[in-house]
Amino acid sequence: MNGKALRSNTMRWRYFKQYVFFTLVRGSAALITLALGGLIFYIVYHGISAISWEFITQPPTHAMTKGGIMPAIIGTIYLTFGAIAVGLPLGIASAIYLTEYAKQGRIVRFLKVGINCLAGVPSVVFGLFGLGFFVIFLGFGSSILAGSLTLGFLILPTIIGASEEALKAVPQTFREASLSLGVSKWQTTYRIVLPNALPGILTGSILGIGRAAGETAPIMFTAAAYFTAKLPGSVFDEVMALPYHIYVLATAGTNIEATRPIQFGTVLVLVAVVLGIDLIAIVIRGYMRRNKRW
Amino acid sequence: MDSNIIIDLKNVNFYYGQTRALSNISMTFRKNKVTALIGPSGCGKSTLLRLLNRMNDLIDGTRVEGEILYEDQNIYAPDVDPVEIRRKIGMVFQKPNPFPKTIYNNISYGPKLTGVPVDDMNALVEQSLKQAVLWDEVKDILNQSAMNLSGGQQQRLCIARALAMKPDILLMDEPTSALDPISTAKIEELIEELKKDYTIIIVTHNMQQAARISDETAFFYLGNLVEYNKTEKIFTKPDVKQTEDYITGRFG
Repeated sequence: MNGKALRSNTMRWRYFKQYVFFTLVRGSAALITLALGGLIFYIVYHGISAISWEFITQPPTHAMTKGGIMPAIIGTIYLTFGAIAVGLPLGIASAIYLTEYAKQGRIVRFLKVGINCLAGVPSVVFGLFGLGFFVIFLGFGSSILAGSLTLGFLILPTIIGASEEALKAVPQTFREASLSLGVSKWQTTYRIVLPNALPGILTGSILGIGRAAGETAPIMFTAAAYFTAKLPGSVFDEVMALPYHIYVLATAGTNIEATRPIQFGTVLVLVAVVLGIDLIAIVIRGYMRRNKRW
Repeated sequence: MDSNIIIDLKNVNFYYGQTRALSNISMTFRKNKVTALIGPSGCGKSTLLRLLNRMNDLIDGTRVEGEILYEDQNIYAPDVDPVEIRRKIGMVFQKPNPFPKTIYNNISYGPKLTGVPVDDMNALVEQSLKQAVLWDEVKDILNQSAMNLSGGQQQRLCIARALAMKPDILLMDEPTSALDPISTAKIEELIEELKKDYTIIIVTHNMQQAARISDETAFFYLGNLVEYNKTEKIFTKPDVKQTEDYITGRFG
């Protein structure tokens, strides 16, 4: 065999390997897209028939086998915004401390390990903590307040992590420029670092929003009502919530088979609500990003 | 003390952790003069510059020994607020670093936040930009982002931003190293103009630049001040062989 043939054989072998790997990578991407698309299609296919004006504007009737899910929609929106109101300021403040102020060393490393562990704690543990601490010890009862606080703590690690990354991504030269003008450290953080980090912080927080809106375990002991037709009058009231409502209909309802369309309809509404809240965050982020280039 | 002296270093040592970056530096900087700090990379000239407005405080694990007197006050005394020092001693960095804000807000940022009473912010912005010879180029686009300016314009904006604080001293850390020759020439003209009102201390890697614009030149090598004299003297008849070798390009 001469050299040329040998070369072309090695080349063929290399092209073959490239082909195999490209196919694997493309296949993985296709599979993921297909799975997500299939999931959405399945939900829409089964749920769309339940959607009507009445469904999203009326409370449930006939032992939750008829009527709408309006109280649960409102409840989930309250709880999600409540969780953001708790988690975002606390998370951003913690991240600012960790990246801008704390002396990098053993204590900070220890804190970061702790935060990462918090991210891995099962959500039902947060639920029990919320029950023990907010509902019973602080006496908030099963309420929007207790649920928001519990969900806020649940999404805290996500928000801290995203905020840390976003703060670190702000160029050091901005801080130096500001400090060199005789501007104090806090003003530099507040006026220069934070505004430039906010779009990144929001990106990370969107993940937290989805989680806060969709979790069942943390709210089942702290905020969610099995059934209530009336809307909450204050933060100390219980609310219905979409994820818990789905759980109830699918496991403990009066007629599980007959409410299947309502279950899927509720899932569809939950996905839509999460998407809607995410869209608000995305629009705010887009507004903030104008003029932010470096 | 000689009233022409604005900064007086006495036996200054500086450490990054265990490493000594500056050894026993004693020197004075004179008012309304341009002083150039030259030397090969890593010789400590930028470190010295950043000592003068306490920018090295931002780096963990650094330590200063000795005294740096600014108008007879040791700026490293425990009761001195570095924020106050930086208001009086401004800085321009190697790479232009305007804020991602409008041109106007880049200038007004410092005075606004440091609580300096400003009767007329518009006038201050105009005056600062005129001092930095940028006004004519940007007077119609003050509300546009500073990020749209060219590199040379951005650097002059950074100078204007520092001037808006009305500092006594302007520290410049290789302010033209990231710029093209035309922008460099403009900045050099500007420095010539500014020394009437300000004391300028400039770090540069460019020998010709030091020779062109400075009144006095200090040559650093391995953390030591090797020679410090009138620029003319340094560049024509240096006392130390090392200085001559460096400025004639034999090492560095």
